[in-house]
Amino acid sequence: MEFIKPNTLKELLEIISTITGEKYYFAGGTDINIQIKKDIIRNGKIIFINHIKELNGIKEDENYILIGSTTTFRQIIESKLLNDKLPFFQKSLNNFASPLIQSQATIGGNIANGSPTADVVPLLLVLDGKLELISNSMNRTINLKDFFTGYKKFILKPDEIIKSIFIPQNAENGFDTFYEKIGSRKALSIAKIAVAGLKKVVNNEINEIKIAVGSLNEYPRRLDLIEDYLLNKDLKDIDFKKIRIILKEEITPITDLRSDKDYRFEVCLNLIKKFLLKPDSG
Amino acid sequence: MKVNFNLNNKKVSIDVDPMKRLLDILREDFGLLGTKEGCGEGECGACTVLMDGKPVTSCLVNACHLEGKTILTVEAIAKEPIGKLLIDCFDETNAVQCGFCFPGFLVSSYYFLISDGEQNLDKIKEALSGNICRCTGYQKIFESVMLACKKKQLYSHRFSLIHPVR
Amino acid sequence: MKTVKKVDARRKLEGKAKFLDDYSYDGMIYGQFFCSNSHHGIIKKIIFPQEYDLSQFIIVSAKDIPGKNIVPEPECDQPFIAEKEVFHFGQIILGVAHPCKETLKDFIKNIKIEYKELPALADTKETLKDEMNSFGRKIIIDYSKNVKPKREWIHTHSVYYTPHQEQAYLEPQGMIAIHNQEQKTMFVKGTMQCPFFVKDAVEAIMGDKIKEAIIETSEGIGGAFGGKEDFPNIIAGIASLLSYKSKKPVKIVLDRSDDMKITTKRHPSRVEIDTYTDSKTHKIKKINIDYRLDAGAYQTLSPVVLSRGVLHSGGGYACEDVYIKGQLYKSNTPSNGAFRGFGAPQAFFAIESHIDKIAASLNLDPYEFRRMNIFRIGDEFPSTQKITENHLFDCFEKVIEKSDYHRKIKEFAKFNKSNDDKKGIGIAIAYHGGGYTGNGEKVLNSEVKIVIEKNGVVKVFVSNADMGQGAHTTLAQLVNETLSYPFEKTIVQIPNTSKTPNSGPTVASRTIYIVGNLLRKLALKIKKELQFENLEEFISNNQEYFPKEFRMHFVQDPSVIFNEETYQGIAYKDYSWVACVAEIYYHSVTYTIEPKRIWAVFDIGNVVNVKIAEGQAEGGIMQGVGYGLTEFFYKKGYGRMQGLTDYALPTSLDIPEINVEFIHTNSDFPKGLGEIPMHTPAPAIRNAFYNATGIFIDEIPLVPERIIKYELLKKK
Repeated sequence: MEFIKPNTLKELLEIISTITGEKYYFAGGTDINIQIKKDIIRNGKIIFINHIKELNGIKEDENYILIGSTTTFRQIIESKLLNDKLPFFQKSLNNFASPLIQSQATIGGNIANGSPTADVVPLLLVLDGKLELISNSMNRTINLKDFFTGYKKFILKPDEIIKSIFIPQNAENGFDTFYEKIGSRKALSIAKIAVAGLKKVVNNEINEIKIAVGSLNEYPRRLDLIEDYLLNKDLKDIDFKKIRIILKEEITPITDLRSDKDYRFEVCLNLIKKFLLKPDSG
Repeated sequence: MKVNFNLNNKKVSIDVDPMKRLLDILREDFGLLGTKEGCGEGECGACTVLMDGKPVTSCLVNACHLEGKTILTVEAIAKEPIGKLLIDCFDETNAVQCGFCFPGFLVSSYYFLISDGEQNLDKIKEALSGNICRCTGYQKIFESVMLACKKKQLYSHRFSLIHPVR
Repeated sequence: MKTVKKVDARRKLEGKAKFLDDYSYDGMIYGQFFCSNSHHGIIKKIIFPQEYDLSQFIIVSAKDIPGKNIVPEPECDQPFIAEKEVFHFGQIILGVAHPCKETLKDFIKNIKIEYKELPALADTKETLKDEMNSFGRKIIIDYSKNVKPKREWIHTHSVYYTPHQEQAYLEPQGMIAIHNQEQKTMFVKGTMQCPFFVKDAVEAIMGDKIKEAIIETSEGIGGAFGGKEDFPNIIAGIASLLSYKSKKPVKIVLDRSDDMKITTKRHPSRVEIDTYTDSKTHKIKKINIDYRLDAGAYQTLSPVVLSRGVLHSGGGYACEDVYIKGQLYKSNTPSNGAFRGFGAPQAFFAIESHIDKIAASLNLDPYEFRRMNIFRIGDEFPSTQKITENHLFDCFEKVIEKSDYHRKIKEFAKFNKSNDDKKGIGIAIAYHGGGYTGNGEKVLNSEVKIVIEKNGVVKVFVSNADMGQGAHTTLAQLVNETLSYPFEKTIVQIPNTSKTPNSGPTVASRTIYIVGNLLRKLALKIKKELQFENLEEFISNNQEYFPKEFRMHFVQDPSVIFNEETYQGIAYKDYSWVACVAEIYYHSVTYTIEPKRIWAVFDIGNVVNVKIAEGQAEGGIMQGVGYGLTEFFYKKGYGRMQGLTDYALPTSLDIPEINVEFIHTNSDFPKGLGEIPMHTPAPAIRNAFYNATGIFIDEIPLVPERIIKYELLKKK
């Protein structure tokens, strides 16, 4: 394995525009270290990016909250800005991994790892998060929901990296929020199921609805069909049998070491139900 | 790779493989054996140290992360006033059993005391949730940290002079 | 009841205490194992990676063993190193050593092996179903009276399953071996419970190449729970072999994933219970138990686990007609071994679940039904041993009162009527016989030694290790309290087989009960012999008399007679008792059980150090909670857990509030405590879940994936 440490963002982009073969961006290292230990990563280039200033930090502009890709979960949890602007997002991540991992793991790593269980992704999906991708030749901003294309696959080009995550300033405003992550224990757990939701209900009618799930497909995703079904519906008229049928089309849970597909399906359904029937408390 | 960092309040510099784990650097290069390896996957917390004042599992931190950083291990924390207070409290309740996880618990509890320190059981449970103990059932650990929070408040004047951990 | 501070605590807290991996010796190299990744196969070929200079590695196989390739155990059937055929996944095939840890790891990773694969049994439930898989050994306790069931007797039948459980001591297994060519000795330092077992093992594998093996424990032993009872024999044996061949000190410390893969676990069980209960008097009239353990590929110490399991399987209930059959089963998984409870937790999970099932079929509160049948003075164990105290009953009544059981039963029933989520409360009771089973302690013939030095230090020599349970503090207390001597001057020595007499292994809840009581007797003898008022003064006034050594052997009470053929007689001279209540909250959305509170009331006789005893109880209870709720090691079709990421040990957020009390503490002597806390949490939680939902689950752990299957069935 070859270790590369670029000095600046510019140097980093130059390096990745030229090198070929397998490469791994190394920031917090909480996941790559384990993959190396387990022999999942054997060869390739390790490109260290944790020290690059432009990739770290939380700030805001007129429309967005911007989180640099190597920002740690501890920075997120302790951020005053997020506490003011995106308290639901911040609070939901309190339970991320463990207090020790939070100090080291980064938001960009959680996304770019591509794991179906990534905790932060369902949250960002309902908050309409965007990614700023940069390379030596271009900058582009995409919606996070367009980022993934398959299991551990995404649209990132070989010379591109995630620079930052954008969340609209008003993403949580006026919404009734919901996030539940189900693991095998309360701390240090990997999600078996995660459901995040935002809804606006006026006079018992669903005016806006966003639901995203994790650990139930090849990558975390929004439940577009369920959202379509629910939009403009009166809460009384929701037919959960119908939702069950739609959900079968939208999620593809599997049985693995951590859980079973039937369990994942039923609990996902229960959580959606819990979210929809939850009294509107904001 | 050459790295310069601050270890237990001393400037140090070493030339190592950039991927070498901080845990191994502490144990092998500096002979600091108080930091233990329980799992090597960040799951047990026996190797907890403070990096720039925040608790991390040193089995998942590498040499390349260390440039310019401040590392405090159990050996240094045990000499700090708050560290000593915690040790007294753990000792008083007979909380320690096999003791393999305790250097890690000491570091996490120390971070809790300096960053919050409220005598609040739920907060303490949260703060220690990255450290696994297989012996004690945690009850006496909670009791000890609660006691330390109480004593810290009672005798706050004694702890006002500790130099802040960055 | 006094509490002194633990002697080892401060050094451990400050990070100064040395655990095995903290020791190093001049010229020391590192060892590791190359293990089988086949469940059952004949080794055809082993190919070493070509990119390494083989001459730099020390490699040992079965052929290099100068002595015997059989680990000394109650049943000597397991080789240190596999010969031609491997019988389980994770079986050691080679020992390899090299000066560089990383190079060694890479080298072992790249060794290739070819097998002729053979049929294998890896699924525990499948293994235990079929009597064809039995090793053939049978234990029968026949207390039957051939009573014919009457019509008004209710028949209750169930089969209960429990899984493997990983000890998960926080410090992985490890040993350092140093061969001394001139003196023909092998010095071994390690993290272990039983130095004299390791001595036997090293002397067996080294044969005539050494005159003596000297075994010493490390200063700190990072937890053991039974996991470091017999597996250290194998590590020490192979480390010795590597040291002999390399002429260098060799350190083997297992990586966590290897430790989980190759070391012993708790035996999975299948316990089938048939009972007949009189529907009018509510007395259990007849019990039939078929108790089976999956021993793994070899029997090793499993016969002893079976024996204890069978003797505890009837539970704390009087019944005039009991028949118990116990058997060991063979599978292609690593040999299972000791783990806190040693066959008893499996037994109590089954019988305590079953008691709730009978109570339900009689429409009785589980408390009432237990009260009707619980042991009282004059009752008998199925082994015919008489019950001579009502202490189990006292624990039971006390825990019911403490937990406010009766009020909660009513309150929860009301809550459950109007909520999807449910609350539940459940009971379990248990006992644990102290020390070795039957005539075991007589055979062990434990010896202890006390040396009083000129400078006034009282040195205590025992072969029992302090692996966190506080033995070296409590043993010192027993001596210094008897001698009325300062605690600081009474020091228990680190076990070393060349210095400490053989006071037996650190197992079977025997350290305080057998060794501690023996030390107290020796201290009394010293007091009598020296006739001092004040020992400190006596020493300074009679300097010429010191240092002085005192020794004593354990003498079994002659009334303790046990027939190992018929399993009749006194199986254990003294029993510890426990009654436990668990309160749970059931989350219907996620099918998850949240343990809220656990109360446990124990009789362990005289309590030497309250805080240490509480800590033991709380820790054992937590392991019981994990056993009941989250811990499983194999999942059918998905192999074994590879590390602590996958194996869900309870964290600080998962653990309920634990409330422990000891009663009958004014007794003359302390009884065993180490294991009994493990017995009741899993069945109490299971029973609480039954109380909450009416769903009867006969298997642990109660993971939500299991619960949902029953919930979905209920809906259909």
